Amino acid sequence: MSGGVTMGRTLKFNIFRFNPEDPASAPRMDAYFLEETEAMTLFIALNRIREEQDPALMFDFMCRAGICGSCAMMINGRPDLACHTKTKNLPAEITLMPMPVFKLVGDLSVDTGTWFRAMNEKVQSWIHTAKRFDPGQEEERMDNALAEEIYEMERCIECGCCVAACGKANMVPENFMGAAAFNRIARFMIDPRDERNNDEYFEVVGNEDGIFGCLGLLGCEDTCPKNIPLQDELGMLRRKMGFSQVKHLFRALLPGKKMA
Amino acid sequence: MMADETISRVGPDRTEAYLDLLQMVTGVVLVAFMWAHMILVASVNLDLGGGRVMNVIARFFEATYMAQVGGPVIAAIMLAHFVFAARKLPFRAREQKAIWKHSLNFNHLDTWLWVIQAATAFIILIMGCIHMWTVLTSLPITAAKSARRIQGGWWLVFYLVLLPMIELHVGIGIYRIGVKWGFIKRAHRKALHRFENRLTLTMIGIGVVTLFTFLVLTKA
Ligand code: HEM
Ligand code: SF4
Ligand code: SF4
Ligand code: FES
Repeated sequence: MSGGVTMGRTLKFNIFRFNPEDPASAPRMDAYFLEETEAMTLFIALNRIREEQDPALMFDFMCRAGICGSCAMMINGRPDLACHTKTKNLPAEITLMPMPVFKLVGDLSVDTGTWFRAMNEKVQSWIHTAKRFDPGQEEERMDNALAEEIYEMERCIECGCCVAACGKANMVPENFMGAAAFNRIARFMIDPRDERNNDEYFEVVGNEDGIFGCLGLLGCEDTCPKNIPLQDELGMLRRKMGFSQVKHLFRALLPGKKMA
Repeated sequence: MMADETISRVGPDRTEAYLDLLQMVTGVVLVAFMWAHMILVASVNLDLGGGRVMNVIARFFEATYMAQVGGPVIAAIMLAHFVFAARKLPFRAREQKAIWKHSLNFNHLDTWLWVIQAATAFIILIMGCIHMWTVLTSLPITAAKSARRIQGGWWLVFYLVLLPMIELHVGIGIYRIGVKWGFIKRAHRKALHRFENRLTLTMIGIGVVTLFTFLVLTKA
């Protein structure tokens, strides 16, 4: 994979190294130097470093096209997909760290899978309906605008950038649900086929591990590599979950019968 | 889930939603108050012939007992707001380290704004209480009395610190209520952010002019 037209810059990579499986390994930063080539991405750079300089370097890639979400890492302090990050947009010194919040596999590789699996189970990420599926029946029609709105939210590739970028998730990594989860819930809330009511959604996100713990820092909105409209969804979710409680609040504050 | 949580419930536990709503509502009330407060105090800059307008307004608020009752009410709302909002603050060392490290590494404007909001909050809590105690224990409010305090020197420094702290906290706060509750949409975020910055600067400007007026005021 070496070769290509060189661009005249020598890039310096500072890369976090640590293998939690190896008792002899201690966290450290290693430096690597590489001639920059034309159209070089971090995917290309990391593979060259591994092939030419250090075969033990751990990092994840699958699709190398911004689709699978496995290559997210902290690039000069910001989470982004390594495969779609061009070195020409970066300074000559590049610091790569694994994403925080997630469990470290080794070096730049983190386990987002376990996190997202738990998230999907928690938000029960499927259509809840009492209707029986009838394969002989024609599919129910959906308004095109709504279908597109749902599709916008479906585009999440579960890369974890929004979580790594979140101040709240960094403060309480064990509990906070994160923007990816809010996006997922918002997606089912606007889907007319899902029969869950507001209270059922509220059970899942109507608390401080959920939407009411979100500080509105919009780190998620500003880093999501798929540009999913997280700001608007989080706002919608907080309003729906919060304002629907106003009537209960009055009931709780006023004297009298207290049943829901 | 623990048994006592499940047994006692017939519907979802809504407490954390109430707290977040109350945090927002007390925040909005305080912002509205601070803006009104700024207009009232800045009226010292005006003299429509019958002495400083501020004196007229102050007399009105005391004659109707709005200052005597309203002052403590505002103090109580501020305390309540502190309690509601402090739920979001990192008090444990591990969390403080995490947010500080994250802010430095990530270097992201809105994240820094929140850090500023959290830091200014404590300064406001202490200085706001001192300010309210001083003013409300020496009623009536008159332009001459305020001017004498400022001309003493130390109070000038005090207010020159408190003013930007409040305006930063208020400006950032109202912007963040907008984005958090979805009143500000993605399409308008930049523009409203700029508006909020200008508003904050304008308010600080009016405040500085007002402090200057007090400093040079001899004829109230
Ligand atoms: C005149 C005084 C004050 C005004 C006008 C004011 C206004 C606001 C507003 C509008 C917000 C945004 C609310 C929200 O995000 O829901 C806010 C947030 C906040 N306030 Fe205040 N505030 C004042 C005093 C204080 C004091 C004394 C404290 C505590 C020491 C405090 C602590 C906070 C904190 C920590 C937040 C951030 C909450 C979050 O992360 O969501 N504020 N304030
Ligand atoms: S807006 Fe909420 S979810 Fe997004 S980064 Fe901020 S705290 Fe996290
Ligand atoms: S919402 Fe965006 S940043 Fe978050 S996991 Fe999905 S694609 Fe990644
Ligand atoms: S390798 Fe699949 S998103 Fe980067």
